[in-house]
Amino acid sequence: MRKKHCIAMLLAGGQGSRLGILTKVMAKPAVPFGGKYRIIDFPLSNCSHSGIDTVGVLTQYQPLELNSYIGSGQPWDLDLNSGGVFVLPPYSKGKSGEWYRGTANAIYQNISFIEQFDPEYVLVLSGDHIYKMDYSKMVRFHSENDADATIAVFDVPLEEASRFGIMSTDESGRITQFEEKPPRPTSTKASMGVYVFSWPVLHKYLIADEADPTSKNDFGKNIIPKMLGDGKKLMAYGFEGYWKDVGTIESLWEANMDLLQTPPAFNLYDDVWRIYARNPIQPPHFMADTAVVDNAMITEGCDVAGAVRHSILFAGVHIEEGATIVDSVIMPGAVIKSGAVVTRAIVGEDSVINAGCVVGRPEAPGEDNRIALVGQHTVLPENFVVNPGDQIDSDVLRLERSVDV
Amino acid sequence: MKDVMGLIYTSKHETSLRELTASRAVAALPVGGRYRMIDFMLSSMVNSGIRNVGVIMQKNYHSLMDHLGSGKAWDLHTRNDGLFILPPFLTRDNVGSYSGILDALRSNLGYLRRSNQEYIIITGGHTALSTTFDDLMAFHMDSGADISLMYARKAPGEVDESVTLTPRHVYLSVDGDGLVTDLEIGPTQPKEPNFYMDIMLLRRDLLLRLIDEAFSQGTVDINREILQRNVHNGPLRICALEYKGYNRRVETINSYYALNMDMLNRDCRRELFGKYPVYTKVHDEVPVRYVPGGSAHNSLVADGCVIEGTVENSILFRGVHIGKDVHVRDSIIMQGDVIQSGVEIEHVILDKHVTVLSGNRLIAPRLYPIVVGKNKTV
Repeated sequence: MRKKHCIAMLLAGGQGSRLGILTKVMAKPAVPFGGKYRIIDFPLSNCSHSGIDTVGVLTQYQPLELNSYIGSGQPWDLDLNSGGVFVLPPYSKGKSGEWYRGTANAIYQNISFIEQFDPEYVLVLSGDHIYKMDYSKMVRFHSENDADATIAVFDVPLEEASRFGIMSTDESGRITQFEEKPPRPTSTKASMGVYVFSWPVLHKYLIADEADPTSKNDFGKNIIPKMLGDGKKLMAYGFEGYWKDVGTIESLWEANMDLLQTPPAFNLYDDVWRIYARNPIQPPHFMADTAVVDNAMITEGCDVAGAVRHSILFAGVHIEEGATIVDSVIMPGAVIKSGAVVTRAIVGEDSVINAGCVVGRPEAPGEDNRIALVGQHTVLPENFVVNPGDQIDSDVLRLERSVDV
Repeated sequence: MKDVMGLIYTSKHETSLRELTASRAVAALPVGGRYRMIDFMLSSMVNSGIRNVGVIMQKNYHSLMDHLGSGKAWDLHTRNDGLFILPPFLTRDNVGSYSGILDALRSNLGYLRRSNQEYIIITGGHTALSTTFDDLMAFHMDSGADISLMYARKAPGEVDESVTLTPRHVYLSVDGDGLVTDLEIGPTQPKEPNFYMDIMLLRRDLLLRLIDEAFSQGTVDINREILQRNVHNGPLRICALEYKGYNRRVETINSYYALNMDMLNRDCRRELFGKYPVYTKVHDEVPVRYVPGGSAHNSLVADGCVIEGTVENSILFRGVHIGKDVHVRDSIIMQGDVIQSGVEIEHVILDKHVTVLSGNRLIAPRLYPIVVGKNKTV
């Protein structure tokens, strides 16, 4: 293999349990976002635009959808002879062989994959954030500072800081302290889950970490604190722009709604930094005579005859005449029948919301204002009500039916 | 259908399409918001399982070639067979342009000989349909035909009668067994309304023999000198199968306009896009953004559009910008067009990358739409 300056390792094996039933049958990075994308399109497109042409995607949890989506990597220009995209599931090795036990262990198990490219730097990414970032600038920052590791940081409001890994730095940007989800944060620099490591240093730490039976084999919990303790040079790389963790139902919904602001909080219409995605083979969307639209994002294959207000429709969604969609995210192939009302909700792929169903409720002070969620491949019976905060899929429906009997 | 190869003959530019074909073949005409005419025939071949397709191009092949590329969008970028682009070329035997389909076939004898499929389907690139050729193949075997043609029954007025250019429309008389008993070229009153769709199936070795004979006898017109002659007095058995699905040939502005407007009809869309996928070159476009105040009714809207005004009974291609207080009715707006605020448009066809400046009103009668050429500013 040709030597590579920097290769990326994308951690895509997490279940994303905070996304509830949405990730029952697919890994978090495969979750649809923004009308025609999936979450993994963002780091993959970033790599492609940053000139990083070798990406290992570490998969473990429900990899089927993700594997077939990535395919040869062609949509992201990653189908190359030298480099390209590699899907890396855990595998058995002689007598051993095991699942990925943590983020650091996942990289450890793929040391030989990394070594064949003999890289100077390894970029470690996670598959649950929406952002556009030129990684090459961060790698340059890392090498100019002669750092051992560089962590991309994003300024968050102090009151939210306790949800993140928080970094304190000195005036040169060198990290002096790292705390994972501190109860009383002293800084607002949150880790974005984007790391650059000098490979020889990381290699050494991975081996040491693996040998430590008390370690949880996690970057945030073990590797980074250990490197700090050893006096290694860790730099914080400040990122400005849009960055959103979409690890929960509420934040996934919010990030989708951000696209509907004028001007959008996150600009997908950027010609220079296009987000690539695998294209559905579908005709342009059709707006019927009866269609009512007010501030929406609609994509190929949709057929809209009902009312769509402040919502996002993914490919191939059908909204029948007399159906109303407000403040919602309707994922690919879902059908909303006449007379159904969907408000502040996420409807999963290929689900059918039958006539008379009421999914979610408008926001009201003092009420439960959580997002209502209908999972994938779920057919809601007529006049079914999904309350805010409810998560309904075919398993739940089956259970309810058996209780009724 | 592994044993069948496809050949699409894209005709020379047609003057009856005005500015739209000034620099592109009819096969390269943008239709339906994101397609080119040739996508329908090419996808139908691919959906039939055909893995070897040659596309005969004329001199104005740039936009077609740009569209087809390596054939990847149609899964025709394969190691064996795949997509072959066959523009005219200059050698001792070739003059650098094709004088007709027979001449084009003769110029590409090498490709035809080298291909190893037993059968070949030859079609034009100007018909919109979405099908597979499985029925035609089965018909060919059952009828014992040497050459099988495909036709569609057309009511008077359904076909573009204003076409006066050669090649003229061909009508077939067919008996109960599918045998073609008469073949009329450009009749004013066809005996039977069986409109030949420019789709023929035959054995490849027979085609090679026919090209050889044609060359030695100076034959140039395949319809008159090969098909018609054999219908009238043998020896080849020519049969024809009726195609019952939606189809429309584009030859003039009116048929081009009609095809696009047909796509606003749900049944027609089901026929064209619901039965088999229609593949086309992929652009990485963003979903359509309807900003507050923007709306569309009875319209097809392709990705990448930003809509601030109102759109009715229209086709919007990729990346169109409809400004504030704009009214677009009964129009075809191609890729990258920008319509600035306050503009009113009715029965207009805007080619790619046209800008209509603020305050303009472009209103035309339905039977004579305004056509604005590529890259123009109004």
